[in-house]
Amino acid sequence: MLAPTQLLVPVEWYLVLSAGVFCIGLFGVLTRRNALMFLISVELMLNAANINFVAFSLQWGNLTGQTFALFVMALAAAEVAIGIGIILVLYRNFRGIDVTEATTMRW
Amino acid sequence: MAFEYAPLIALLPLASFVIALVAGEYLPKKGGLVGMAATGGSLLLSIWAMLRVASGGFYDETLYTWVAGVGEGTLSLSFGLLLDPLSTMMLVIVSLIAFLVHMFSLGYMNDEGETGLPRYYAGLGLFTFSMLSFVFADNLLMAFMFFELVGLCSFLLIGFWFREDAPPSAAKKAFLVTRFGDYFFLIGVVGILATFGTAQFAGEGAFPQLAEEAIVGGETLFGFPAGTWVTILGLLVLGGVIGKSAQFPLHTWLPDAMEGPTPVSALIHAATMVAAGVYLVARMYGFYALSPTAMAIIAFIGGFTALFAASMGVVKDDIKQVLAYSTISQYGYMMLGLGVAGYVAATFHLMTHAFFKALLFLGAGAVIIAMHHEQNMWNMGGLKDEMPVTYYSFLAGSLALAGILPFSGFWSKDEILYEALIAGLENPVLLAAYAMGLLAVFFTGFYTFRMVILTFHGEPRSDHAEHPVPLGWNTKIPLAVLGILATVAGFVNMVPVAELTGADITYLSHWLDSGPEQLAYSTYTATAEEFAHIHHAELTPLIPGAIALVLALAGAGTAVALYRGPHPVAHTDKLGGAKDVLVANYYQDEYQVWLAEGLTQRVARGADTFDQGVVDGVVNGISSVSLLGSGRVRRLQSGVVTNYAALITTALVVLLVAFGIYGGWF
Repeated sequence: MLAPTQLLVPVEWYLVLSAGVFCIGLFGVLTRRNALMFLISVELMLNAANINFVAFSLQWGNLTGQTFALFVMALAAAEVAIGIGIILVLYRNFRGIDVTEATTMRW
Repeated sequence: MAFEYAPLIALLPLASFVIALVAGEYLPKKGGLVGMAATGGSLLLSIWAMLRVASGGFYDETLYTWVAGVGEGTLSLSFGLLLDPLSTMMLVIVSLIAFLVHMFSLGYMNDEGETGLPRYYAGLGLFTFSMLSFVFADNLLMAFMFFELVGLCSFLLIGFWFREDAPPSAAKKAFLVTRFGDYFFLIGVVGILATFGTAQFAGEGAFPQLAEEAIVGGETLFGFPAGTWVTILGLLVLGGVIGKSAQFPLHTWLPDAMEGPTPVSALIHAATMVAAGVYLVARMYGFYALSPTAMAIIAFIGGFTALFAASMGVVKDDIKQVLAYSTISQYGYMMLGLGVAGYVAATFHLMTHAFFKALLFLGAGAVIIAMHHEQNMWNMGGLKDEMPVTYYSFLAGSLALAGILPFSGFWSKDEILYEALIAGLENPVLLAAYAMGLLAVFFTGFYTFRMVILTFHGEPRSDHAEHPVPLGWNTKIPLAVLGILATVAGFVNMVPVAELTGADITYLSHWLDSGPEQLAYSTYTATAEEFAHIHHAELTPLIPGAIALVLALAGAGTAVALYRGPHPVAHTDKLGGAKDVLVANYYQDEYQVWLAEGLTQRVARGADTFDQGVVDGVVNGISSVSLLGSGRVRRLQSGVVTNYAALITTALVVLLVAFGIYGGWF
């Protein structure tokens, strides 16, 4: 257990960075049509969360947040594996990976 | 040997029903002989049961419980047998007539080359089974079930010639009209079960006894004083009786039911099925005797129907129609007898009427065979010399029907009128019923002898009447047997003779007074006197009997005087407008059709409109609102992942802003 330390860079900046990365990811999800770009955008959002975990972990001197960050990375790897699988199937069925083309599951 | 074999009385005809239905095509006489054997067996067993009862036997057993109540105050529904003097007497009558009708059918149906005979004999077998089971039923619910089955068989047999137009329609009419009455009967049965928790006719805790105890104890049942409630239940059950026994205003089905084969008319619409209604009142007489209102209504309806139907019989030209109206009229007499506490008299008439009316119908059937299925009496005439067996037996039946000494009908009808008179001297309503019954005697004599003279006397008025078809043994034997019975059956209870000579010859009274006290005639009379306030004035039976006999002779004499001679004239034409009304049956059919089409149908249309418009409208309105709404909302499901993501993001932002505003962050 680390003692709470005075960070070189104040924690607010980390939060701003995290929010920025998250918004970039969100922007990607909302605007991109390529499924691979989706996956990359989702990675960005997950890593924005990781920045928060690590920053707060350092802020409070508590390692749990960093452990969580490791878990999130493992999870992201698993998610990418599944995501790639989905994208392959998408490609087979719709001859492309444009997510706006695959609209058969609607009303 | 006890009564273990008694259920066979009904089961034998059931077996003949099954056999005729399954294998009738391959049997000799298409199942007719099997039916004869079965009903003959039933007859022997019935006589044996009657002898057992005569030697002091009594049987009231539950044989099969099909709904067993668990715990205190629950209902048990069961089938069982009740063999007492009344039911065994009725069993003998029903099985005897069923047997003779089967025999007659061999001549009327087989020898005439009818098709579909297995169906016919199956119908007769099922009918006999239902009627016998109804007669020995030991509880009201079982009686109701077989009462309904009897109605079903009536429907099947009236509509036997279903390829023609009239029989199916008559069958439907009979079914629907009796069903209308049975509807009230059903409510009455449920009411009795709900009130007393039992529907047993006899034994410890039978429902008439519980009703009597409730009245004596001054109890309140379902918010009514016990006496009122008993009257209500009695009148509900009476609905079924009025329908089945063809009493006014539900009598309209019976004349139409003559569309069925004539032996069926004899079996069902004269001797047994129509008797079911009257028999039911006699069966639960201990219950009716508790209610002065119900008794007065029974008596008044009976007296009115006797006169009403007899007046219509006067103008009919079809021989079977005359007999149909006479049947309605005679059952009116029985109801009159029951309503004035003349239990023995009514039962007596039930018996004699069964014999002479079956005889008359079979005689009419013989005439119809001889006439190549011509039924109009104006095309007959002169059959007396050509068919003597039919003529003399028919004449015996007619004398009995008209109530002329010493034929059976005289003794029984006279006893009913006597009972009505002595009760009527104490009660003006019953006196009015008596007056109508007495007046009907004249009409009965008239139409009966009009029928006899037109059919058998005078010159033949058609080729068929000149050369009638000769009859076989199978038509003559039933006529002869019934002819003898119609003549002598009255001797079992000659009340005026007993009064005159002081001899103890009222055997039927003694018979109905034997058996358990609860079901005995004297108990019923005492109950009727105590609860229904029917008191009997002191009067010798001789003078009223003489009056009735004179009226019957006057009616018969008038008919003979008007219609005798080689070429009779249709005197009823002189009645003018009155004849039109009578021929149209007092426009009863028209008014009932109006009730059905003009009133009920309109009410039903209105209810339908309300149902479709308002009730369904509300439901449809709600569903179309949600249909319309969901039709719009489902557009959200665009299938484009980006849209979902945008929606989720927007919703999250909105939620955050909302929390922010309400949480006071800004």
